[in-house]
Amino acid sequence: MKQETGARVEIRSISKVFRRAKQLTQALSSVDLSVGPGEFICLLGPSGCGKSTLLHIVAGFIVPDAGEVRVDGVAKAGPGADRCMLFQSPTLFPWLTALDNVLFGLRAQGTITSDSRRQAEELLELVGLGTFGNHYPHQLSGGMRHRAAFARALINRPRVLLMDEPFAALDAITRESMQNFLLELWERERTTILFVTHDVEEAALLSDRVCVMSGRPGRIVATEEIALGRPRDEVLRDTTEFVALRRKLRERLAAA
Amino acid sequence: MTTVPTSQASPSAGTRDGLSSSVRHWLISIASIGLSLIVWHVVATSIVRDPVLLPGPLATVGVLIRYLHTPYPADGDTLIGHALVSMARVLAGFAAGSVIGIAIGALMAGIRGFRAMVDPFIEITRPLPPLAFVPVLIVWFGIGEAPKIILIAAGVVPVMAISTAAGLDGVSKDMLNCARCLGASEAYAMLHVRIRAAMPQIITGMRLSVGLSWTSIVAVEMIAATAGLGFVILQAGQFLNTSLIFSGILIIAALGLAIDAALRRLQRHLDPTMRP
Repeated sequence: MKQETGARVEIRSISKVFRRAKQLTQALSSVDLSVGPGEFICLLGPSGCGKSTLLHIVAGFIVPDAGEVRVDGVAKAGPGADRCMLFQSPTLFPWLTALDNVLFGLRAQGTITSDSRRQAEELLELVGLGTFGNHYPHQLSGGMRHRAAFARALINRPRVLLMDEPFAALDAITRESMQNFLLELWERERTTILFVTHDVEEAALLSDRVCVMSGRPGRIVATEEIALGRPRDEVLRDTTEFVALRRKLRERLAAA
Repeated sequence: MTTVPTSQASPSAGTRDGLSSSVRHWLISIASIGLSLIVWHVVATSIVRDPVLLPGPLATVGVLIRYLHTPYPADGDTLIGHALVSMARVLAGFAAGSVIGIAIGALMAGIRGFRAMVDPFIEITRPLPPLAFVPVLIVWFGIGEAPKIILIAAGVVPVMAISTAAGLDGVSKDMLNCARCLGASEAYAMLHVRIRAAMPQIITGMRLSVGLSWTSIVAVEMIAATAGLGFVILQAGQFLNTSLIFSGILIIAALGLAIDAALRRLQRHLDPTMRP
């Protein structure tokens, strides 16, 4: 299955103010970020710093007060199948089997063909759920649901994957296997990934570049290139290089 | 006790404890019905010993079977005929009330101002007994079928509106956003995700409403009815035919259970998490 490479994402002076209970909160203040095609970027910041808001703006779920989002040079308003979001919970549709969940994107767009079923089965195979197509979400374990959500997102061949702390609710072992799974997938597909996390180690392990954000108003205060080689495996987590990088990111985060 | 093997990955689905406890629940329920029938029989035949005050279960079933093919009153209908008449009224009122209630509930979930507008009416009408409306409905709509169906529908509307609004409110924003970024249009996400996700709760509202419809059938058939189970019960009461009253009550119970079973089946069909 040959995938086209990821898209370039440009975030241009995005600002957003929330009004809640007569109180104004500057969630984002003139945020600029340029993400290269196929780049893996982590947005790292404390909770409430607006990183999730930024991701929702890129996805088109939230309209910014100012600024724009461009994907491959085209300004985007509103959600679209080219940018797919993966949430902290897998948000599978509980009334559909795993296979029908994967097929949802094609059905919704009316692009379902006689070949779609085989395609969906291949994707389930890819995420290690080959024999679970007929299972409903509540019959799957937590990690399996996340994998099914991956397969569902991939059916549309999105050019950008937006990930909003997707592994934060998983136990340590499942999280690690999902991280490895994501890296393998990204090495193969080279989709552009914007990954939101508050976990320093996760950011250092996964991404090409880490953008550290500060809160109120939310903005990017530091950018750190991650020069570690790829593929990255478990052994890497214990190297001095990785530990030093982790400490540096943690200091940046503390200073933010 | 043997266990049923499950091929499911989740530990919560169909575990051994769940199965045996549900079987035990059923056994206790059946035993409880049997025991109460025995108590009824003993009290009726050895303590009360007056079929007008309290006919026994056997006498009641005898009367029930007799009037399944004998008209009551003499120029009237059989119990089957009466049951069909009441059933038609309940279903018509229930259907009309559901359609209106679901529409109101959907508007409540969609438009904040609308909710503020209808909320007080729902809160006021919900606790009112249906009997209170009988005289005014006769004044407005006469004594035909219309007031009877309206009375049933009036009880259904607030329940359906509340459960529909709650069901639609309960669909998470993430799930709708998720549908959008998978390429669904706003209308598609509304129909195939938001409404679909709310269906189990809407059907729970329907199950409540059907029960409610049957509870008002006697009040409904006080409105110059000449047929129906409520009519039979009222008529039999005037002639102290207690076992026929009980027969009418038993049939209402059986029909109520049957409709509920059908809705529960539908709910299980629409909500896989309810399946065992």
